Amino acid sequence: MVTRVITIIGFACVIAALIVLEIIGRRRTSRVPTLGEWLGYLMRARAGRALILLGWLWLGWHYFAR
Amino acid sequence: MAADDVSRPDGRLGRGPGAPRLPAGGRLARKLVVGAGLAAYSWAAAGTAAFTTGALLVVLLPGAVIAAVAVWGPPARIPPPDRLDVTGLWYWVICVAALFEWEASAFKDNSLWWHPALTDLINPLIAPHPLKSAAILLWLLAGWALVRR
Repeated sequence: MVTRVITIIGFACVIAALIVLEIIGRRRTSRVPTLGEWLGYLMRARAGRALILLGWLWLGWHYFAR
Repeated sequence: MAADDVSRPDGRLGRGPGAPRLPAGGRLARKLVVGAGLAAYSWAAAGTAAFTTGALLVVLLPGAVIAAVAVWGPPARIPPPDRLDVTGLWYWVICVAALFEWEASAFKDNSLWWHPALTDLINPLIAPHPLKSAAILLWLLAGWALVRR
């Protein structure tokens, strides 16, 4: 039981950190990029664009098709 | 994702400077129609059972539409930054790597009850039909946001 709780807390902490980074990134003077900014940066190249869109498709397949 | 920094004039359809403009009422009507269509699709898609052809098609169809839009009719793109601050980017890298590592450790342990993978935690959360619909709608909107990047 304790191990399960620790695992869930671990996921919650990491996801909370990602949300905090996004909030920090939206401040005007922040050096931290937003999620959209760094994804957009990766998607400048055609290969990066294809990989990110494939990742999106995989996410949909993983959670909604199986 | 920040979508409020689109570098295009308001009302532009997004296919070059010569593209026709919709009046304000038309833009609102278009948003309502598209929103209702996406919500209806999400609701119907959430009704499909996992591991069926229907469930697969529900995912592949938006994928095909997004791919077609990305290749043949890309909307006005949100310009990416010319460069990223390396230190700021590393915060993201560390957090994303931690998420993958935590997930991989659960996966390595065969995702047992005492060490569940993220999927095992999320699937029960989106099991109710309305929540699964909302999750699919969110996924569709994320796809649209990505194709504009």
